[in-house]
Amino acid sequence: MSLTKCLVLGCFLSISGILAQNKQVLYDFNEIPQSLLLNPGMEADFMWYAGVPLLSGISAYAGSNGISVNDIFADDGVDINVKVRERALGRLTPRDEFSVTVQLEYLNGGFRSSNPNIFYSFGGYLEMDNIAYWPQDYAALIFEGNADQRDREYDLGDLKSRGSMVNVLHFGINKMVDRNLTFGIRGKLYSGILDYSSTSNKGFLVNTVGKNNTLATTLDADMVLRTSGVQAFDEANDSGAPADAFIKRALFGGDLGVGVDVGFTYHLSDKTTITGSILDLGLMYHYNDSKSYSLRGRATVEGIEVDILEDFANLNRDFWQDLVDELETLVPFETDTKSYVTFRPTKLYGSLRYDFGGPLGRGRQFDCDCSASSAGGSTLRAKYRNSVGAQVYMINRPRGPQVAITGFYTRRIGNVLALKATYTADKFSYTNIGLGMNFQAGPVNLYLMADNLLSYQNIAASKYASFQLGMNIISWGRR
Amino acid sequence: MRGVQILVAVIFGFLLVTSCSEKQDFNQLDDLEITPTFETSIFYIKAQESLINRVSGLSFFSQDFNFDAFEEPFFAERVRSGVITYELENTTSKPIEIAFDFLDTNDTVLDTEVFQMDSAPTATIVRDVAYGNTGKNLDIIRNTTKIRLTARNLGDSNSTSSLPDPAVILRTSAKFTLELK
Repeated sequence: MSLTKCLVLGCFLSISGILAQNKQVLYDFNEIPQSLLLNPGMEADFMWYAGVPLLSGISAYAGSNGISVNDIFADDGVDINVKVRERALGRLTPRDEFSVTVQLEYLNGGFRSSNPNIFYSFGGYLEMDNIAYWPQDYAALIFEGNADQRDREYDLGDLKSRGSMVNVLHFGINKMVDRNLTFGIRGKLYSGILDYSSTSNKGFLVNTVGKNNTLATTLDADMVLRTSGVQAFDEANDSGAPADAFIKRALFGGDLGVGVDVGFTYHLSDKTTITGSILDLGLMYHYNDSKSYSLRGRATVEGIEVDILEDFANLNRDFWQDLVDELETLVPFETDTKSYVTFRPTKLYGSLRYDFGGPLGRGRQFDCDCSASSAGGSTLRAKYRNSVGAQVYMINRPRGPQVAITGFYTRRIGNVLALKATYTADKFSYTNIGLGMNFQAGPVNLYLMADNLLSYQNIAASKYASFQLGMNIISWGRR
Repeated sequence: MRGVQILVAVIFGFLLVTSCSEKQDFNQLDDLEITPTFETSIFYIKAQESLINRVSGLSFFSQDFNFDAFEEPFFAERVRSGVITYELENTTSKPIEIAFDFLDTNDTVLDTEVFQMDSAPTATIVRDVAYGNTGKNLDIIRNTTKIRLTARNLGDSNSTSSLPDPAVILRTSAKFTLELK
């Protein structure tokens, strides 16, 4: 495969996985300002920083825990129909997911207050997040049908998917409470651009032995699809102005929401630190251009049924149309434009870190990092060359929380370079090795990180790929 | 700043060179076949012996039923084969003949299935009729918009079977294979 194709495939995988991404390499990477977005209670030692617009934070993630591109499209001589049946239909379950997250930061900055213990940060980013679970029984119906499957209930609840595109404006306060504790909170305003969700479907379709006829087909449905912004983009597309619609809805002309992030850092000892954060504890109110579609009810049919004795006086009626009308009455397909509320995919991070290897600097034992927040000798805290520890990540998903556990090692080389290596285990992979690098050239800060690096040997076989990169200008003030 | 640019170029260059993939063939999608087979009941009709005895003449019932299911574009454009299964049960005291005609929009008879059954006690007749592949012409199904049911009493009009609720019952179900891709 050519390098170009590799790159395209890699980009596709990366772009498709950016939403609700576990940024385990970036988390607790205190040299990088964007870490504040993962823990507003991070120990920030900057005087001020400014992200390079549109380049300060780009991240993407795409994952599928059950199947990879290679499973279906490998040029291995196996009939694709066999591969789809064996590797998708025969293997995937409704708990297998396909998810994509993309985050593009267009504004990010921060500055220290006149009170050196307080640091403010602010910014804005666009986020797209999509997740769909494998609709097992729908796939069985589409690929195989329901013939010879008497009494098998096809679960309509297998359809579970949601996605959104939002513009987020945020402002955070980070306060060093004392030498050991730093606490932070970030308020967020969400401007909803596009949203869809169909996550609480119930019901089944089944063929059973009929009371009169050979078979009785029963549909028991309680299904809803909620959307917001779709019609606005449809109309804007027709009038040739989709960009206008995008900008309008991104700047609070669409749906609105509020949220909050909170986090902390606490030193258990000079070398042992715990951190934690909860992100996107918030909700969206979808009221502008919302449209919902529902299918609710229960009906059992055995085809056209004619009892000549009973129907003798009315045999000329249209039995077929009557059957269709009866079905539509019992299981109506309806639309409405009522507003609705969705909760943001809340995330939780936590870490335990142990520093070792001597303080940074020129080898002096108490050569602290002399951060901008160091108000006096009582707050001086050394920054060590090495850190090792463990992190946990959890995100709220339609089928329950999703958890990842990470072990990490960080190595700082002077004040110029910091490297972080991670090993992560989650439902996507047990061989996820990540690497991150932070490079500081004077005031210019550059960071780049990617994970699941082992999959780069055959990226098409990867079930998960993600990256983050960005550029900032940082000042620590007088040091 | 130049150092940063060089570093970025080196890192991306490294990723480009080291990342690779087994050969993929996305054109395989053209070969993907999605051909599910769906099964459902389509017709049930019951004529009680008391009703048959009330009607004089050979033909005690003849009726055209509108049946638009087969001509729905989603179905008609995708159907590739099918089997209609008929089950005829006669618990009356008289031999019965039932004709099942498939009619198009001009009321032209496209096909006919005829069933003859002796008087009770007799076994249920089960007949599978295939369409498409090696069966009958699939256009019969695609062009059917009506079904004409004609029932004839080949016996007397006064006897009554001793079986409970004597009647002639016709049950039909169908399996159709659609080509979705």
